[in-house]
Amino acid sequence: MRTFLILTVSGITNGFVYAIVALALVMIWRATRVINYAQGAMGMFTTYIALYVISHGFTYWLAFVIALGSGLVLGAVVERVLVRPVEARPPLNVVILSLGLLILLEALAPMLFGGQIRSFPAPLSRVDLKVGSTQLYISPFDIFTVGAVLAVMALLVVFFQRTDIGLRMRAAAFNPEVARLLGIRVGRMLTLGWGLAALLGALAGLLISPAIFLYPTNMDEVLVFGFTGAILGGLESPAGAVVGALVIGLVLSYVGGYLGSELETMGGFLILIAVLMVRPQGLFAFGSRRQA
Amino acid sequence: MLEVSELTVRYGGVRALSDVSFSVAEGSITTVLGANGAGKTTLVRTISGLVKATRGSVRVDGATLTGRSPEAITRMGVGHVPEGRGLIGELTVDENLRLGGLWRRDVTDRRRAVDEVYELFPPLAARRTLPAASLSGGEQQMLSIGRALASRPRVLLLDEPSLGLAAVILAQIMQRLVSLAAERRLAILLIEQNARSALSVAGEALVLSLGSVVVREPAERLAGDEALRHAYLGF
Repeated sequence: MRTFLILTVSGITNGFVYAIVALALVMIWRATRVINYAQGAMGMFTTYIALYVISHGFTYWLAFVIALGSGLVLGAVVERVLVRPVEARPPLNVVILSLGLLILLEALAPMLFGGQIRSFPAPLSRVDLKVGSTQLYISPFDIFTVGAVLAVMALLVVFFQRTDIGLRMRAAAFNPEVARLLGIRVGRMLTLGWGLAALLGALAGLLISPAIFLYPTNMDEVLVFGFTGAILGGLESPAGAVVGALVIGLVLSYVGGYLGSELETMGGFLILIAVLMVRPQGLFAFGSRRQA
Repeated sequence: MLEVSELTVRYGGVRALSDVSFSVAEGSITTVLGANGAGKTTLVRTISGLVKATRGSVRVDGATLTGRSPEAITRMGVGHVPEGRGLIGELTVDENLRLGGLWRRDVTDRRRAVDEVYELFPPLAARRTLPAASLSGGEQQMLSIGRALASRPRVLLLDEPSLGLAAVILAQIMQRLVSLAAERRLAILLIEQNARSALSVAGEALVLSLGSVVVREPAERLAGDEALRHAYLGF
């Protein structure tokens, strides 16, 4: 029972981080119809930026904000400079471009920041809490992780559902041609979408790196797990992506805990392959028609 | 108000439009008729900026639209009711309507323009929070026209609004266009396959054939000239 509780809590905590990556992938998918394979690497890069800021004597929270901000900028620049020129081409071009960016960032990071494995600080204790004599299996940092992800999700819902710019972005994603006829500058919406997605990736990097350490390929697995969660949720649905990612987090935690941690990554791939074979539209694809 | 002169569009080696010239005055409706493939949709898409003109120009109030992006053209006062209505089915009626004027800076007037659409088309007001995809064909057409009006255009382009509409509903919508042109001093360009209903509301009528204007007559005369009607419109 104790093992089960520990595994459940860590599965949910990790699942929330995968969920934020899954949301970033869904956001890009809905706007540009491609999977951004560099999504994780961009989060790795911004986490290095955070570490750089911290190592120069600034506080964690300043580094946190700077990492998120540089994610926003990095995503926007990638869209403007790299994606825009191949946007009118077949989607495969953007996919290959994102793979190229992944390799580039993973090569650039060790050149700029050093290639060795670094520990990355958590702003709160990672030791599990105790209430009186009862041992809980959740640490303050776990609570922070879940809380930060939930807060960001709530902000995204408000942004997309309640603001004019969010409405413009949804229109541009659903039907770019009609959006242009309505006077919406679709190009700007795409730039903003890539920026926001990279901001989410930056948050994922900050939240997962204290547990998995920071090195140039540290987000590769996180990307695969987030991707699997997004696929499980049907790629179109943000809510589906979150649920899918939580399921992945839990399953992987149980696989790692009961069958051996070396099987965890393989478990992720097995789920991915199984979903793609059995239900490629995802578990939560309820009639995701694109146009009226 | 809307002036099209010597508009020519070539796709690869094929001429989709050749030297098309006409104008639509403020407060009037001009209809462009013709068979499938005559170039009607190319004409609207070129005016909208979605298709690049090879030669010629389109002007609104003297300002040149040709060469500008679709979003810039919309911002210059051109409202669109695209082929197939172009609604975003996943968004609500209210969201679709708001999108029409969202580029405008005057937030108060933006809201007023949307409220005016609800007054103009009361069925939409009752369905504000429903997804646009759930509306009937007639309501969807009202929404598409209303969304274009929410941008307070001076020129309104409609691409086959009759498509899939029952005759009674179509007649109502056509009457609405007549009063809109008169009351809001709109210049309306009505692209239609359904010649009979378009001729009943238009002032001037053009017939396109293989990308060229072959007839340009007052709508009333075209409707009354049996020989012309038989030759070009098939009724």
